[in-house]
This record gives sequence, C-alpha cells and structure tokens, in this order.
Amino acid sequence: MITTADRGDVFRASVLLVVLALAGCAPDGGSAMPPGEPDAAAPLSVYTVNYPLQYFAQRIGGDRVNVVFPAPADIDPAFWRPVPDTIVAYQQADLILLHGAEYAKWIKSASLPAARTVDTSVGIRDQLIPIEDAVTHGHGPAGEHSHQGYAFTTWLDPGLAVEHARAILDAFVEARPQDGPAFRAGFTALEADLVELDRQFERWAQAVADTPVIFSHPVYQYLTRRYGLNAVSLHWEPNEMPDESQWRRLEVLIHDRGGRWIIWEDHPVEAIAERLRSSGSQSVVLPTCANTPHEGDYLAAMQRGITALKRIGDVRTVP
Amino acid sequence: MRDVVYMAWRYLVYNRVKTTILVLAIMLIVYLPAGLNVLVGQSAARLTARAGATPLLVGAKGSAVELTLNSLYFDSGTPELARYREAERIAESRLADAIPLYVRYRARGYPIVGTNIDYFDFRRLRLAAGRSMAVLGECVLGAAVAKDLGLEPGSSLVSSPENVFDLAGVYPLKMHVTGVLAPSFGPDDRAVFVDIKTTWIIEGLGHGHQDLDEPAAASGVLSRDGRRITANASVVQYNEITAENLDSFHFHGDFGDYPISAVLAVPRDDRAGVILQGRYENADAPAQILRPGIVIDDLLATVLTIRSFVVAAMLIVGSGTLVTVALVFLLSLRLRRRELETLLKIGGARSRVAAVLCTEVVVVLVLGAVLAAGLTGVTRRLGAEAIQRFILS
Amino acid sequence: MIRINDLQFGYREGDFSLRVADLRIDKGATVAVIGPSGSGKTTLLNLMAGIALPRAGRVSTNGVEITALDDRARREFRIANIGLVFQEFELLEYLSVLDNILLPYRITPALHLDRVVRERAEDLARQVGIADKLVRLVKRLSHGERQRVAVCRALLTQPALLLADEPTGNLDPVNRDRVLDFLFDYSRSAGATLVTVTHDRDLLGRFASVIDMKSFQDLPEEVAS
Repeated sequence: MITTADRGDVFRASVLLVVLALAGCAPDGGSAMPPGEPDAAAPLSVYTVNYPLQYFAQRIGGDRVNVVFPAPADIDPAFWRPVPDTIVAYQQADLILLHGAEYAKWIKSASLPAARTVDTSVGIRDQLIPIEDAVTHGHGPAGEHSHQGYAFTTWLDPGLAVEHARAILDAFVEARPQDGPAFRAGFTALEADLVELDRQFERWAQAVADTPVIFSHPVYQYLTRRYGLNAVSLHWEPNEMPDESQWRRLEVLIHDRGGRWIIWEDHPVEAIAERLRSSGSQSVVLPTCANTPHEGDYLAAMQRGITALKRIGDVRTVP
Repeated sequence: MRDVVYMAWRYLVYNRVKTTILVLAIMLIVYLPAGLNVLVGQSAARLTARAGATPLLVGAKGSAVELTLNSLYFDSGTPELARYREAERIAESRLADAIPLYVRYRARGYPIVGTNIDYFDFRRLRLAAGRSMAVLGECVLGAAVAKDLGLEPGSSLVSSPENVFDLAGVYPLKMHVTGVLAPSFGPDDRAVFVDIKTTWIIEGLGHGHQDLDEPAAASGVLSRDGRRITANASVVQYNEITAENLDSFHFHGDFGDYPISAVLAVPRDDRAGVILQGRYENADAPAQILRPGIVIDDLLATVLTIRSFVVAAMLIVGSGTLVTVALVFLLSLRLRRRELETLLKIGGARSRVAAVLCTEVVVVLVLGAVLAAGLTGVTRRLGAEAIQRFILS
Repeated sequence: MIRINDLQFGYREGDFSLRVADLRIDKGATVAVIGPSGSGKTTLLNLMAGIALPRAGRVSTNGVEITALDDRARREFRIANIGLVFQEFELLEYLSVLDNILLPYRITPALHLDRVVRERAEDLARQVGIADKLVRLVKRLSHGERQRVAVCRALLTQPALLLADEPTGNLDPVNRDRVLDFLFDYSRSAGATLVTVTHDRDLLGRFASVIDMKSFQDLPEEVAS
C-alpha cells in the first residue's frame, strides 16, 4: 500500500515526465501554405494597359483567355492612374500586357510582377518615335535630365499593331503551350484583318497623295510616318474651344501649307465645327481607340475612320 | 521490484539536493552534445533548405559568402553592388526570371528588402492581412516585424538614416504599411519588403518635388535653357509618398545604372540555367553567378568541422563529469556503509540491497536523460531560430 | 532454542578469541548477557544470529544448524525468524516510521509485504504508542521513540528469537523500562526467546538467567527458562 507521501511524489514525477515527453514530441512550427497550382483548364487571366492590346489579346486568345482593361471608358489610358486595389488586381493576373514606349505613366511608380509582365513593344523599340518638345528638368548643373519620352499610338500603324499582336501571341503560347494552335489561329485571323486595314489606309493615302492635312492633336505620328502623310499637328481638344492665338496659328498654317482638312480624335463640339466650317475648313474623325470605342470594336472604329478619311479629296472606295 | 524502486526513490527524494545536482550533471552531459547537434543540424537544414530553394544568384564580383548571406538572410553586411541592368539582361535573355534584390537600408533595425512582386511568388509567401505593395512608398512587413513593432495595414514606418552624421546622405522615407505576411519561420519574417524603386527613392536616386514648370516653384529653379530646367538645392523634396504627390516622383538617369545587391535568377529549366551560368564564367563578365546551395554547403562544412571539435571537447568534459558522478556515488556508498550493514545484518538479501543501490543510479541517469531529451526537444522547436537570429543580427 | 557446541571464533586482526564448549538456551527463555568490554558479547549475538561464522563448532537456532547454511539461506532464516534490536537503533533516516517498521519485508524476496503485514505493523506501532507518527521521518523522533520503532521492526516478522544488543543503552529510565516491558511482553506472549546484552546490572533481576562472558573460558553452562 502506498502512503500519502508516496502518492504525492509519484504523481509529481509522472507529471514532470509527461510534460517533458510532450515537449520533446511537439511538432515543429508549421510552414506557410503552398500556393495553389494555377488551374490549366481556367481561362488565362490577362490585364492590359489600353484598349488596343485588350482587343488584340481577345482576338488571339478567344475563350481561352479572359482579358481585362479596367480603366474607365472616358479616360485617356496614357494618363490614367489606377487606384491601389486595381493595381493589386493587375498583380494577380496571369499575364500583364504593357504597351511599351513609356505608355501608361502609372507603371513607373507601381509594383508589378516582372515575370508575368510582357512589354509588347519589345520587337519595335527601334521604330519608336521620340517626342521632341517635352519639358525636362535636372538637379544642379551636372545633374541628369529626365527622359523626353516617345509617341505611343503605335496601334495606328497596322504594321506595328501586328508586332504588338505577335508579342502577345508569343506570351500566350509560352504561358499555355497546349493552346498554341488555337492562339496561332487567332493571331492569323487578326493579322489578316490588320493587313487588310493597312491596305485600305495605303490606298487612301495614295489617293490623297500630298494633300496637306492637320491633326488636331499630336497623336497620329505613326500613321503619318507609315503612309507618308503631309501633316502637321495642333494641340487642340475636341471639347475645348481654342483661344484666338490658336485660331490664328491655324490660319497661318492653312495660309502657308494649304489644306483645309482637320482630323480629330473625336467629334469636335459644334461651336468649333461651325467656326471651322465658316472659315472653309472641314473636320473628319479618326478615333485613336486608346480606350474602348463608343460602339463596335477596334476594327469597326478604324473602318469608320477610313470611311471618314475618304472624304478628304473626295476619294471613292475601290474594292 | 516495486519495493526496490520505492526504497531507491525515497532515498533520492530525501537527499534531494544531491539528487538534483546529479540529475542536472547527467542532463548536461547528455544535453550539451545532443542539443548542439540538434541546433547545428536544424540550423544547417534551414540554411540549406533556403539556399537549396534559391537556384542562382547574380551579383557583383567579390565575396560569394557575403553575397549569399545578404541575399538569402538579409545579413547586415551589404556586398559589392551590382547594376540593375544585370536583372534586365537576365530577363531579356529569356533564360530565367530575374528578381532584383537591394538590401542595404533598415527601418527600426529591420532590413528593408527592395525587390518586386515576383519575390513573394518565388518564396511562396502569403499575406495574413492587407494587400501587397502597389505603388511607390508602400511596404509589406514580415510577420515578426509587424508583431514586434505593433504595426498593421494602415500604419507607417520610417526608414532609418544610413548615417546620422551625414547630413547630405540618405533621408528617411515614411513608408505606408499595406500588408503583413503570414509567418514563414525564416528570414522573411524579419524583413520589410518594398518595391525596388522605393529603395532607390530612399537612396535619393528618385524623388518627388514641386513641378518646376509651375510659378510656385520659381525659387527652386537654378536656370532655364529652352525646355530644360535645372533646379537648385533649395527645391523642397517630399519625404513621404502620398496619392497627391505620387505623380511628382520620378527618377533621373537610366534604371540600368541603378544599384542592386543581387539578382535572384530562376531558370526556366536546367538547360537554361546551365547556359546562364556559362555566360558569367567569362573572366571579363561584369558580375558573378553562384549557386547558393554550394556556398552554404561549403560554409556549413567549416561549421560542422568546428562542431566536431566542440562535440569532442564536450564528450571529454562529459566523461570527466561522468567519472565525477561515479565518484559521488561511490563516496556516498562509503557514507552509507553503516546503513548497508544494518540491512544485511537484519537479513536483507544482498541482491536486493544491490538492486536498490543500482536503482538509485538508474533513476538519476534516467531522470537526467529524460530532462536532456526534453531540453533537446525544446531546442529542436525553438533553438535553431533563436540561434539563427542571434548569428544574423 | 539455541545450541552452541565446540565453538571457536576469532577475528583476522587482533588477539580476540571466543571459545564456547557448550551453550544451550531453551525456547522462551529470557537471558541477559554481561561481561566487560571486548569480551565478545556482541560477537556471541552475531554468532547466534548467523551474522558471523565460527572457525569451528556448530550453532543451531530453533532446530536449524545455521552454521551449515550458505549466506543466502542464513539471511532468509534470520530475517524470518530472528528479530534484532541495536543500541544505536540503526533506522534508515530517509524512511518514514512505518517504512522503517516494514523494512524487513522490503529487503528480501523471502517475505511478501501485503495488507495483513501492514496492519500488523500499525498494530505494533499502536502498542508502543507511536501510531500517530507513522508518516513522519524518523529523524524527527526522540531516542525513546526511535528505539520503539526499532523494536517494532524487530517484531514485525513475529520472530521466535529476539536478540537485543544493549537496547536501552541510549535511553532514559522511563523509555528504558518501556522498551524492556515491550520486549518481555512479547517474549511471554509469543513464547519467543529473548537474549539481551546489557551493561545495566539493575536490569539483571528481570531476566531468568544471565550469561557472563568470563565463564566461557572454562566451564560449559546450560541455561533453562
């Protein structure tokens, strides 16, 4: 029979041994949960920085991709600044398609996953047009001055647009090799449309020859270069009445160069259009399509633009 | 058997001081080499695991150990700096994903790790709260940093000046905490993660200030030459990046010239990794490439050699202690001679008396061994991380 | 009860020599052993208990020739049949009172400690007036109490022979009488033989017979109860 004193000692000893045994057997601290593997069956999640890239990506990817361009429809994507939550949405995409040419100023101050980011202009960097008239600054006499920048509406040159699309195709195939044939088929169809667009622009350009034209805003550099247009640019906005000095500059331009066709990004307000008409000038609209068109898609908007351009020189369509 | 154990136990409890000392001595004899083995083994395993999980490191030529420790463990010693164009070069080669690292500055004693979002995917780090950094000036905290400093998403954290006496040096930047990582039980828990461009802002390579083209900034203009403006030193620079002044932040010069401490290169496949390594084996190559696993293995080989010596020394000391413990037992037997004679006189069986004495010894040994096992278990749970923190702090 | 024949005993060192030609002690006898220091009183008890072995001669206790047994058998016989009480009590300081009383049952496989034995131990403690101190360590007891514990230990196995070596040497008169009363009561009630070494001549009258160690030089002696 164990006495009371015996029981106490045995109990304490047992507790001690159990505690020690548990301490020795306790598992190591757990590690972070491994991320889930991407679902190969789900559409590739793609985010773009402008509408043309979204259009090209959707044409190439079809239902195998889910392409998002989250900027509001009434904002110029080049100067759009997404809120942090939107940037986080970009971070979580399978692919982020950048335009290059220092387009989308917000990218320089954002954190994006480089491994999933594609610069679609990587194949055309030597063809980018630098902007000559940017304001730059530096610090101190020997300090570096900031870069001037590039014109960025490369998609208005169908040849460059094809290169953007080719970069998108390469990125899609690398991400989903098993869908390569479908992607290539989509690219081929898109390329054919862009080649046809190019052909129509070319025919129009040949028809207007050296007819001087005036662009309302300096966003048609690539179009001008591709088709050898005789063009100069103003700095007018379609919804802002120019001041008198701007009207005078227009008059000087017209006097010096001739040509009474103003090509706008969007329909000018009636007051501007009326004053132009009263001075003998005509307006046509060739949308830049940086953002989603009000109706139709990129190709439809370009077709409408070509149709409007044909008024210059009263060119008829020759199928 | 029960009587034997009971008698032995009562003797040990009665002489609890002596028993405790003997048990502790046995515990130390067993624990010291065992604990050291566990510590070294675990530390080695952790170091090796993290190094093994990092395929390739590219950095400026110099100490491979320093480059590895800084890149993997955010050691306070900054290696020779490389240029960001190394990361651009690797990315353009399409041979590997390039994750830049710039580990140089600190915030309240914790290393600021300048990198990009890819780092979190690579290390499989997950957020426990908030979101990842989205724009300049935002940061994500490791779990231990958030806990130690009592910070959470919405808080702010100021970077530390590199040198309090260098007035023209790096200015503190007030960073906004957007997220806290879940514990990963490694060096990432004790780091502050920012976009690498934020690190360059801390360094002063990027900054934000008033628009010099605006009339309000006239006092900050040194000269104008057409559309080129040169600012003077009095132009006010922001030390916090907000939604209102974010657009004013910019960088001068080419990113490719900007400093980094290393590039984590994750090859697309083995062949790409070999090709990439081959490109750096040229003596004229501007940078070095290394496999962290090999560097750590070499480092550990040295540590393990030292460990062997230490363990041998411990075993020698332990043997001496064991001899002393045996001497204590023998001396106590001498002191108990009268007790033993009494037991034998009244007719106690020699075998049973011997069994009681042996059981006393066994109980002390077992208790010492159990305590040592428990301590070794605690060491296995907590020791390696504590030592790693001590070594790397 | 005890028979010693032609016994010769001496230690390896020294000149001590003990010769007992013939000694008989009957069962139930109470015998006092007296003699000057160094005369071999304790040695005689050790020989009777089988703790020491003679160079020559035989010792029989309770019909068993213990000089013919091996060490293990002698121990088993001793612990089951002979109760020993010492002048210095010889208790284990790290055991409680009860555990000291139960000691013989813990240190040999020949005896089995069970509930009956425990109850007997508690009863013995009650008889000597220490039942309220069973869980105490013996170091907290007075000399008288300690000797009573030692006596209980000696009696727990219900021995046929009690050998007490100056059991009252360190006690005051009250405790001396108390211990002796207990020993004599047990001897009487159990019919056990009691052999006690004592220096106290005042106690000799309580014993039925006296063995003077000086007599072992020459004459045989027979002691009857």
